[in-house]
Amino acid sequence: MNRLLSHAYLVVAVRAILGLIFVLASIDKIADPAAFAKSIMNYKIMSPGIAMLIATILPWVELLCGLALLCGVFLRGSSLLLCILLVLFTAGVFSALVRGLDISCGCFTQDPSAGKISWLKIGENTAMIVLSLFLLLSSNMKLSLEHHLRSQPAEEH
Amino acid sequence: MIPLRQPLREAILIVLMSTVLGFAFTAFAGRGFFAPAGAAATSPLSQSQGSTFVAYEEAVEYSTSGKALFVDARHEYEFKLGHIKGAVNLPLSEFEQRTAELSNVAKDALLITYCDGEECNSSIELATKLYAAGFTNVKVFFGGWTQWTAHHQKTEPAPSGSGEGPPQ
Repeated sequence: MNRLLSHAYLVVAVRAILGLIFVLASIDKIADPAAFAKSIMNYKIMSPGIAMLIATILPWVELLCGLALLCGVFLRGSSLLLCILLVLFTAGVFSALVRGLDISCGCFTQDPSAGKISWLKIGENTAMIVLSLFLLLSSNMKLSLEHHLRSQPAEEH
Repeated sequence: MIPLRQPLREAILIVLMSTVLGFAFTAFAGRGFFAPAGAAATSPLSQSQGSTFVAYEEAVEYSTSGKALFVDARHEYEFKLGHIKGAVNLPLSEFEQRTAELSNVAKDALLITYCDGEECNSSIELATKLYAAGFTNVKVFFGGWTQWTAHHQKTEPAPSGSGEGPPQ
């Protein structure tokens, strides 16, 4: 397991996959926060004001986390944040499915006629939780901007 | 136990940066909280909520008087199992392909959308799309089919000649 966690290319591949997913997921939401707020309200968990607040901030969290993973900065922080977010997203989808809500996910597109949520979404999210936990536990920071910046002062001495 | 102090610090920093960026962008682009009041008129739901949603009693009145056209947002097979008398079927997922079916309806005619009931949002989404398509008088019967059938109002089952009966 430790070998897996410290495998440089595996860590980079996981960073690229998660990073791309979250950068792509954030674009539609950033472009139309009102539509994203409506998608959130469809879950019937929170008030319009809170939904709009989340719709204003959350897409940027996704974008920054995605970019951080791609560039290799704040790797642990973004992995932790994504892990927490994915657990919350999964809980939201799970509760909607249990309540029998016939709604779109609002995950990648805000088009209401896009596919409805299903148990498959729980599976997808669980896989991403595993990937983000992998990055959080990973000890290999090679091929990252963070590693590059930290190693430079050491080389100067 | 993995040390979480540094990841937590980084996570908080990312959230703070996102908050600043989110509010700065929406303020600059005039979206979300900062959307101009007029922009909200793209959705019928942004009108007075009281006048947009139709209660069951009002829905019955509109149905009996024939003053409104009910638009059923559910799937075709559910529509064929039964629907509000006089309703037309316009599933949300087929809106673009089938919206022409409403070409004979006046743009200022009263349209009332509905779906299964309070556990679905297709009625609201359909109302928004109809409004965007130019229909100026769109309301939502949010109680939907569930509330309607619970009151045993007159319904219109599948026409026997439709060739597609309800699944057994």
